[in-house]
Amino acid sequence: MTGKIVSIHSFRGGTGKSNAASNLAAQVALTGRRVGVVDTDIQSPGIHVLFGLDEQKMGKTLNDFLHGKAAIREVGYPVGQNTGGGEGRDKLAGKELYLFPSSIKGREISQILKDGVDFNRLNEGLQTAISEFNLDYLFIDTHPGLNEETLLSIATSDILIIILRPDNQDFQGTSVTVDIARSLDVPNLFLAVNKALPKHMNRPEFNKEIERLFNAAVISVMPLSFDMAENASQDLFSLRFPDHEWSKALKDIVPYILNAK
Amino acid sequence: MADILKKIRETSFFKELSDDASSAVAARALARRFRPGDAVMRKGDPADSFFVVLDGHLKIVTTDAKGDEIIINKVGPGESVGEIALMDELPRSAGVVALDDVDALELTKDAFFDLLDDRLDVSLGILRGLSHRLRFSTKYIETAIDWSQKTAEGDYSFLEQTQPLSAAAASDDAKAAQLLSAFFSMARKVKEREDGLKQELERLTFEIDQERRKKEFDQITGTEFYAKLKEQAQELRRKRASG
Repeated sequence: MTGKIVSIHSFRGGTGKSNAASNLAAQVALTGRRVGVVDTDIQSPGIHVLFGLDEQKMGKTLNDFLHGKAAIREVGYPVGQNTGGGEGRDKLAGKELYLFPSSIKGREISQILKDGVDFNRLNEGLQTAISEFNLDYLFIDTHPGLNEETLLSIATSDILIIILRPDNQDFQGTSVTVDIARSLDVPNLFLAVNKALPKHMNRPEFNKEIERLFNAAVISVMPLSFDMAENASQDLFSLRFPDHEWSKALKDIVPYILNAK
Repeated sequence: MADILKKIRETSFFKELSDDASSAVAARALARRFRPGDAVMRKGDPADSFFVVLDGHLKIVTTDAKGDEIIINKVGPGESVGEIALMDELPRSAGVVALDDVDALELTKDAFFDLLDDRLDVSLGILRGLSHRLRFSTKYIETAIDWSQKTAEGDYSFLEQTQPLSAAAASDDAKAAQLLSAFFSMARKVKEREDGLKQELERLTFEIDQERRKKEFDQITGTEFYAKLKEQAQELRRKRASG
């Protein structure tokens, strides 16, 4: 079993984490790799929307698996066979990309929050997903902050990509996340800036400043984009607009994932 | 005639001449009139006379590699063309063409040197005028060098201590003044841009409260949950490493 777990995390909400996670997973799937995406943001799931999974069509979820009510095989939703419309998503047709959604039902969300998530159970789910679906990469879209599920995701990651916005509040929280990731021995730790202003773009001294603060590599600086906002999570932006500045910056991340040991 | 004398003395070349000396110049000069487009001098011609413009304008032109005309300068009333070439005896380095109806005085090389031979006061007047120009040019060059060095070192204090020179100053040194004025505004723009970049750089600097960072880290890692998680994670990584 060689599949790698790639966690996409951000300290605060609104950094564009789910967009980055879904687009990265899609970009890696486009290279022919077998890819899974797990939504461990069980408090506020949302990545299924980006993959066009209709909430009514959502079958078994990660919650069912964690409660022992479903096998992980039943949770995996083949996006390549149901792209659900969308010019960008249609490019995934025939690709091996599986989504493991979290339940969006209030009762199930409060239930899992009450019970807590067991490390071994979640880890078993991730490992089973990798082996049963023969995945090369399993992406985890985490809940913002550093709650228990997020710590579990970080602990099990081979690659952790922290998305941050260029402001002091994000930086403060990110510094703690970086320290935690180091404490949990995450082998590959990368930083990606999103919602960067024009003054941050193509400025090596900006990247250096962040690398100095966190002692971690900045592998992408993605611009704040009104075009992205316009897309309003209706489609996978980097597939629909592959030549857009944001998409190009996002694609800078892909080789770091593919080359990680 | 009085008008011509006045105009002769208005030129930078003859400005130091007395009335009497100016009359001596006027007596040896030829009154010339050019129509728009007339060639006054051609590039490469021997330098055998020079002209003082009384009325109208001349353009000084050369040609680029493709043979297209390039205007190097424009010359108006009170200004002269070709006087330096008369003294260093090099061929014309550029052509001179009338831009409009031009009245000018031509002083041939022979007439000019006769004048220098005969009239010590004219020679001295010309020398005085040239020295005056040289002194001012040197002063301007020194100022420009001083400003360049300061700009290179990032010292823009001269921008506050010096008033921008008026480019329109109608003096003999108008062109030198124009150069300094252009230099002044260039230095000011460089300073503005530098200030802007400094501001940008400041905004690119972020601060992390290290004490808070450590406190939050300790809070998270100090729990029983975390200790167990770390242990499980270590075991997981060991397992994966061993395949």
